[in-house]
Formats: sequence, C-alpha cells, structure tokens
Amino acid sequence: MGEMILQINHLSKSFGSNLVLRDIDFTVEKGDVTSIIGASGSGKSTLLRCINLLETPTSGEILYHGENVAGRGVNAAAYRSHVGMVFQSFNLFNNMTVLENCIVGQVKVLKKNREDARKRAMNYLEKVGMAPYINAKPRQISGGQKQRVAIARALAMDPEVLLFDEPTSALDPEMVGEVLNVMQALAQEGMTMLVVTHEMAFARDVSSHVVYMNQGVICEQGSPEEVFGNPQRQETRDFLSRFRSN
Amino acid sequence: MEKFSQLFADIVKLWSKYGVSHYLPGIRNTLVLALVATAIGCVIGFVCGVLNTIPYTKKDPLVKRFFLKLIRVVVRVYVEVFRGTPMVLQAVFVYYGLPYFTDNVVKFSSIWAAAILVVSINTGAYMAESVRGGIISIDPGQTEGAKAIGMTHVQTMLNVILPQALRNIMPQIGNNFIINVKDTSVMFIIGFPDFFSAHRAAVGASYLYFPSATVEMAGYLTMTLIASFLLRWVEKKLDGDSSYELVQVDPLTMTAGTYSHPDRGTPFDEQSKEYRGRVQQGLKHGRTRGER
Repeated sequence: MGEMILQINHLSKSFGSNLVLRDIDFTVEKGDVTSIIGASGSGKSTLLRCINLLETPTSGEILYHGENVAGRGVNAAAYRSHVGMVFQSFNLFNNMTVLENCIVGQVKVLKKNREDARKRAMNYLEKVGMAPYINAKPRQISGGQKQRVAIARALAMDPEVLLFDEPTSALDPEMVGEVLNVMQALAQEGMTMLVVTHEMAFARDVSSHVVYMNQGVICEQGSPEEVFGNPQRQETRDFLSRFRSN
Repeated sequence: MEKFSQLFADIVKLWSKYGVSHYLPGIRNTLVLALVATAIGCVIGFVCGVLNTIPYTKKDPLVKRFFLKLIRVVVRVYVEVFRGTPMVLQAVFVYYGLPYFTDNVVKFSSIWAAAILVVSINTGAYMAESVRGGIISIDPGQTEGAKAIGMTHVQTMLNVILPQALRNIMPQIGNNFIINVKDTSVMFIIGFPDFFSAHRAAVGASYLYFPSATVEMAGYLTMTLIASFLLRWVEKKLDGDSSYELVQVDPLTMTAGTYSHPDRGTPFDEQSKEYRGRVQQGLKHGRTRGER
C-alpha cells in the first residue's frame, strides 16, 4: 500500500481519573480516507485532538513518518503545519476577511510571499465555491460557507493529512450537503483525510476505511463494506441499527 | 443675574491675564501627558497581559514552569501595588524616592520624565488586568484555529488574539485616557505644569478662586467630551464595514476546480442566479447575514 503518514501506537488519554482513550492503535496511509464513527462521548474527537496535539496524550506514541511527536521537546507548531484541521465550530479568525484567513498561515508560518499566498488562497477558495466572498468577515457569512472557508484555509497550508472534527455537526441540515460535497471532491482528488463524523452515508460511500469507536477503544475497523455490510461485533451492530431505523 | 455677569467679567479678566501664559499651556501639557502616558501604559499592560497568559502544562520542563510562575507573581505584585496606592503618593514616592535611595545619582532631570513614568506605570497596572480580561474573553477556538495551522504562541497572539482583544478593550483604553486627563491634575504635587497647576498659579495672585475653578471645570469637561467622541469614532473605524462587496468570478467555475456545463446544474445553490440575486438585493439594503 501507500506511504505511511501517521502511526498511532497504544495511545491513551485521561482527563483526571476519567480514561477517555484506551490503547488506541491505527495507521493512516497516503490517500486514505478514514472515517471515525461512534456514539457521542466515545472519544472520537479527543482522538483527533490528540493526533493534532491540541490535547497531550497521557501515554503512547504518535509516529509521523516514523518520528514520535507525542514526546517531549517536539516542535508542535512545525508538526501542526503539516496536519490540517477543520473544526466543528469553524474557528475562522474573526478579525480577518475570508481571504485574509487563508493567507495569514501561509505568510506567517510557511513564510511565503504575499502574492503567492494570495494566488494559492484564491485557488482553494474557488475550489470550495467561496471566491465571491473573499471580502466578507466570518460574522457575515453562513455556517456552511464558514466551514468551506475553513477547509480552504486548511488546504492552503498544503497539509499532508487533513483532520475533520465533526465538520457538519454545527450546520443546518440544508448546509450539510455543500460541505460534504467539498469533502467528497477532496477525497476523490486523493487527499489523505481523517474524518470524525455522524454522517453515516459519507462514511459508507466516500471513505476507504472506517473505524468504529466505543467507550474509548477501537471496537471495529475495516473497509466500509466490512464494517457496514458485515459488522463482527454486537456493539457495532447495535450502533449501526440505530442509524438504519431512521 | 448680577452674579453671573460678575462671574463672566472675572473669567474674562482671568483669561486675559493668564490664558496664554498659564491655562493654554496647561491644557496642552495635560493632554500630552495623558496621551503619552496612556500609550505607554497600554504597552505595559499588553506586555503584562501577554506574559500573564502564556500557557504551560505539567509536561513542560521545570525551568520554564518556574519562570512562568515567577513572571505571574511579579506582574501580580506590580498590579496590586500600583492599583492599591494613590497616584499622588506614587508621584511623591518615585520623584523623591529615587534620588534619596541613590544619593542623588539617579534623579529626574526633567519633571516630564517623572510625570510620564508615574502615570504610565499606574495606567499599566490597570491595563494589565483589562488586557488579561480581553485575552481570556476571546473564544478558545480562535487559539485552536491558529495553532492548528502551525502558529506559535507569539504568532497566535500577534495575529489573532491581540487584534480581537484590542477591539474588546477599546472602551477600557478610552476610559483610562479620560481618567488620565483628569487625574494627571495630581501631578502638581511634584510641580508638573498641567492645567490644574495653572489654576493654582492664577488664584495665588488674583484670589479669584471660583471663577478660575469654573474655567477649569469647563476646560476639563471639554477635553473629556472631545476625547470620548473621538474614541467612539475610532471604535467604529476598528469595526470596519458592516457590508461587503461580492467579487465576480467565472460563473462556470465549480467546486473542486472542475468546470460544469451550465445546464447540468450546480453543486452549490449559492452559485445559482436567483441566490446571487437575492444576496445582492440584500446587500443593497445594507443587510447581511449575521450582522450584529
């Protein structure tokens, strides 16, 4: 298979005495689109935040191209510039316009010159269909539009892998589609993606790999056909049946 | 009525005698001192506020944690001491204290330096707390968004958090400026030639206490009213436009860089003609989604 980008070994995370993640193992290869599904509180988001070092893992390793980034003395900022993240609550910079949001990281972190950064930003904003809105401030656009800008902002940094933390959960139903369309297009272009989602159709139809989490452990993982078509564990079946019924 | 005309006559008399020599230079000195000291105080406040909010975790090395704790203690002591004592006393303390302690090696060659120093560190103490409040009031998501694209703590602060915090504490800065315009009057204690000291000089010779006080009242009120008007204007400027211009792009450009045939439908409804028309209609009426 493809080149290994991320390898997570025995990752655990606890908040105080509350063990949220237990002994997580999985890998992300170049071009993988991995969906992480599971009930709320099963640790999906925490896992994603650990991978981006927004939370410090309690124990275990996160190997990025074979190098452990979860230990001490790691330049977290440099690592994060290779790993894009899209948040449930968008987290666009409120003091900047849409275009400025997509430029600032390239100029300040990647040290690109402004003109190149602007071109790159425009390219991705066009891609997500937000080019007409470059002069708007985040407070002036809708949730779905914000999320598309957030995706463009992450893409402009030229990340090796893109993490999505429930990108559609804060959106009105009619705006979910526009964001999922963008994500699907990215997946088809070969972007490596790790998606925490409640959108079962997306997990089933778009992803190449599905991880089902339950109570802080990976309960089952495999291809979408395996996990959705023929789940091995009772927990997985129970979880999926709740989605099928509606 | 008679009293009023007498008051008016006295004021005219005072102004013709002391207006250009005392009152006007006093107004200028008061404004310059307040402006410079507020600006320096804001810088002090921002530095303290930023130092105070550097995050650390248990995983950081002991030395780093020790220094960050030390910084917090030092800032805390500074804030408590200068917020907890009267500025008039601080002026005396600093102005006479430094030469006293250093056997006249360190002393103030200019009364301006002493006044600016005292008012600045006093303002800085208040601003440190305001800035800290301004920083912690910003949604943590903003920090996470900045970190997620690889910004360091300093970059996050300079590009994302402080510009937003600055907007939020603008009313506080204005407040401090207005307080400084008035409270620099206590600097007469070390002989600073401000607007209030003009009053002392004028009444010392003319004994027209009440007319001079009237001039002072009117003068201070005019200064603070103009200041608050200007501050409102600056705040509005900082907020920027409440509407924005749509930029025309090739209408055939579709998401993901693909080009679609016009009659094949569009992935996004926003790209459709009616939607764009609706948005533009809305903009014409100055209404945008999510406008505050």
